Amino acid sequence: MKNKIKLLNNRVLVLDGATGTQLQKRGMPSGVSPEVWCLRNPKVISAIHADYQKAGAEIVYTSTFGANRIKLKFYGNYNVGKVNKDLALIAKKAVKNKALVAGGIGPTGKFVEPFGPLKFEEAVEIFKEQAKGLLLAGVDLFIIETMMDIQEARAALIAVKELTDKFTMVTMTYELDGRTLNGTDPLTALNTLQSLGADAVGCNCSAGPGQMVKFIKAMKPYAKVPLIAKPNAGMPKLVKGKISFDMGPEKFASFAKELVSAGASLLGGCCGTTPEHIRKVKREVSGLKPVALSKKSVGLLSSARRSVILKGRKSLTIIGEAINPTGKKILQKELRQGKTSFIRYLAKEQEKAGASLLDVNVGIAGIDEVKTLKRIINMLAVNSSLPLVIDSSRGEAIETALRVYPGRALINSISGQKNKLKKLLSLAAKYGAMFILLPLEGKSLPKSFQERKKIILDILKEAKKIGFSKDDIIVDAMTLAVSSHPKAALETLKTIDWVSNNVKCNSVVGLSNISFGLPKRNIINAAFLALAKKKGLSLAIANPSKLKVRYSKLAESLLLGKDKDAKAFLAYFSKAPKEKKEVKISLSAEEKVFQAIIEGNREDVKEFTREAVSFDCKASEFVRKVMIPAINKVGDLFDKKEYFLPQLIASAETMKLALLELQPYLKEDDLKRGKKTVVFLATVKGDIHDIGKNIVALMLKNYGFDVVDLGKDVSAERIIKEIKRQKFSIVGLSSLMTTTMVNMKEVIDEAKRQGLNCRFIVGGAVVTRSFARSIGAEYANDSIEAVRVAKKLN
Amino acid sequence: MQIEYFNQITIFTPKDKIYSRLGYSKGITKLNGKQLDEVEGYIEKALEIVELRGVGAILPINKIEASKIILAEGITFASESLAKFLVDSKEVLLMAATSGLKIVEAVSKNSTGKNVTAAVVFDAVASEMTDGALSWIINYFNRQLSRENKQLTPRRFSAGYGDFSLKNQKIIYDILKLGQLGISLSNKYVLIPEKSVTAVAGIGFKQENKE
Repeated sequence: MKNKIKLLNNRVLVLDGATGTQLQKRGMPSGVSPEVWCLRNPKVISAIHADYQKAGAEIVYTSTFGANRIKLKFYGNYNVGKVNKDLALIAKKAVKNKALVAGGIGPTGKFVEPFGPLKFEEAVEIFKEQAKGLLLAGVDLFIIETMMDIQEARAALIAVKELTDKFTMVTMTYELDGRTLNGTDPLTALNTLQSLGADAVGCNCSAGPGQMVKFIKAMKPYAKVPLIAKPNAGMPKLVKGKISFDMGPEKFASFAKELVSAGASLLGGCCGTTPEHIRKVKREVSGLKPVALSKKSVGLLSSARRSVILKGRKSLTIIGEAINPTGKKILQKELRQGKTSFIRYLAKEQEKAGASLLDVNVGIAGIDEVKTLKRIINMLAVNSSLPLVIDSSRGEAIETALRVYPGRALINSISGQKNKLKKLLSLAAKYGAMFILLPLEGKSLPKSFQERKKIILDILKEAKKIGFSKDDIIVDAMTLAVSSHPKAALETLKTIDWVSNNVKCNSVVGLSNISFGLPKRNIINAAFLALAKKKGLSLAIANPSKLKVRYSKLAESLLLGKDKDAKAFLAYFSKAPKEKKEVKISLSAEEKVFQAIIEGNREDVKEFTREAVSFDCKASEFVRKVMIPAINKVGDLFDKKEYFLPQLIASAETMKLALLELQPYLKEDDLKRGKKTVVFLATVKGDIHDIGKNIVALMLKNYGFDVVDLGKDVSAERIIKEIKRQKFSIVGLSSLMTTTMVNMKEVIDEAKRQGLNCRFIVGGAVVTRSFARSIGAEYANDSIEAVRVAKKLN
Repeated sequence: MQIEYFNQITIFTPKDKIYSRLGYSKGITKLNGKQLDEVEGYIEKALEIVELRGVGAILPINKIEASKIILAEGITFASESLAKFLVDSKEVLLMAATSGLKIVEAVSKNSTGKNVTAAVVFDAVASEMTDGALSWIINYFNRQLSRENKQLTPRRFSAGYGDFSLKNQKIIYDILKLGQLGISLSNKYVLIPEKSVTAVAGIGFKQENKE
């Protein structure tokens, strides 16, 4: 096998094609377990293996895709190990040593925690059970395939790796948008799986070969293992209940060279492909050399849904430090109570403020750190897309976290302490984690650069022995407080300079330590950060909210000439507050109210209205001359689609606030003018949707109607009872469902029957103009039209 | 019949669809920075309280008549339009998804005057996220089915479409045991919380491979 893998450097290897569709073509009925059916029909599956081998496949997969305990259980009580062993033996016998046999492991169909109900260790055990059977038959290598959950792929890979060091390939399946169902992109999957020990990574099923070229291209620049492409024969099409794949062997094989150029070195076929497809692929790739691996190591961290590339001195990466209970009573309380909402908030806030990675520390006295860290890591893996930094001094806690984390994590940190160094390095290696190297050996802190340099070199040497490269390591340049160590900053800067320029490794500092015990810490931190970046600092552990990371990144791009015409800088800083200031300076009080309604400025409209009224303006006239034209203009903008719904509502709410401010004056005017028209609004019986009706209420109130909102799920009897109380009224009925819109007719018919003096307006998602006409009502498509119709009926 | 529950569905936020649902028209609608920040802020708040969950189960179709579909165990949907929709299918996928109670409560609380702007954004987020969850369930089952050379119909059908009356929601509710997702059914067959949906998709199979 090892020789075969060496071959991967020199030529492209061909894998087999589809098994499932071939089995069906050769007589397997629908609704049976393919694995059990193969055991009962060994000649059929044997012929498929042999056909693929004869067509040129150098690796064939055992037909054990669904031979795990969860899937087999659905069809009966089977011995998982024996099913796998027997099917692998059939494959071996069929190819007669002329091709390698890969033990196939497919998904269980259940999502694994933290994404689903299947416990991670249970998943590992399920895959181990399957892999043991395959090993008993003597498979040459393993293929974990068609995985749509990165955590399930990790569980299967860990299972195989804990049993054997045989060559193991992993392929994921992606949707057309280039992500798995849980949102993992090809680069992220590659990084997680190759770090965890996969010997080859790629994609299968997913789509046709053309689409797969994109996935391979995305992975290649960061691949330190060979890449696999095993696409479908085009996209499946469902025509009159029948599936067909539209890509014949010639066309399918015509993509082979493109896949190889993109970086794939193992090619095969998935659903819809046949031995003929593989024969043609073999012909196309014969004599082709794969593109050489460009990386031996990669400084790349991943969550389940995102990867962060560490760019050394070219760009500063911020590790958000806020998820750390030291000195935070709320966080301590939350951790003790087993809650997570504050941590979720901290994660979101830091991401918004510019953090690219999240440090997670849950160490407080009297807490089960192992259990708590696992719980928080699982929660953050689902709720944040930022890769995590596991910050603990306990080896057991670090291991538990690394094992369950569905990405490639960073350990903070590994020091030179003899009793811990080798153990933690082994852990990092097993789970493919990167780590922060802390230059600390004994109990005393190395204060000078020279002391740190020696420790750094010692740890790097140990790490190298285990297989780590410099890309896997970030050196902590160690920040001590200048208040107690006057030369602290200078020694740290020297360390950063040496790490960046001599060792050529990424460096990190815990930024806020430098200003500990001093006033105006943000100023000191910012100045130190600028100096450190100049020396080549690549990461900082900091609170991005305090650091104004986004601002400094924008300013940095501007100053370094990366922001052409200062577009990004100006776009970010030339927002509404500036416009508001101009309004305050140059406009009259009336114009300010007008403008506030147009812009939906709810913060200032009351103040502007008070100002306008104090100029001895008559309230009702003010509404008529200023506010109604303003909301009319908003309506026009909405009609032209220059405004969308939130803007319309914000303006309506602004006007409502202004009207509230004017209410005492308007009451006097109302008394003089007489009673307003009453509009009853209701969502009809059986329907509970009312947001549209509430918007109409808001708009009608702004236009001076007296709105009585009867609520939702309102019976015809109640509506009729209310109408009877008025001499004349307008009634607005709303319904979202076809099943409840008929209840509108019931209300209208009853009102007619009783001879009530009222007019009806109907609206709602399913209601149409013609339906409205048919039941004797006016129609309004939206709140703006509702106002127009109500004014017409008034 | 195997019922698959998904207690935690993670999807990317369908921002384009949310904006589109709110009436945003690319190239026409104009938003200043402050307005954009406000809408984005509400979207974020909504996402914090949306709890996407779902369920799906595949059932064989025993018989399709002109105006009814009879599934395994005699479960019957009376609908001509559904019968037409499923005419080429041998099985059906029954599914449901919900955005949970918290978001619906937030819409309700804000829409009655507190902050209607927030309410309309919350409402749009919940609708599109629920719809996204249903699509996620379809993709999940398509992945499972593809190995058997089966595929779901590209469209899905819901109670309330055509003559597939809302009463059928009771049948789906009982089969999928939607109570387990925290969903209840009103006496008018409306799902509660509001941002919950059920749907039916057909499954086609039989290979017809062009080689």
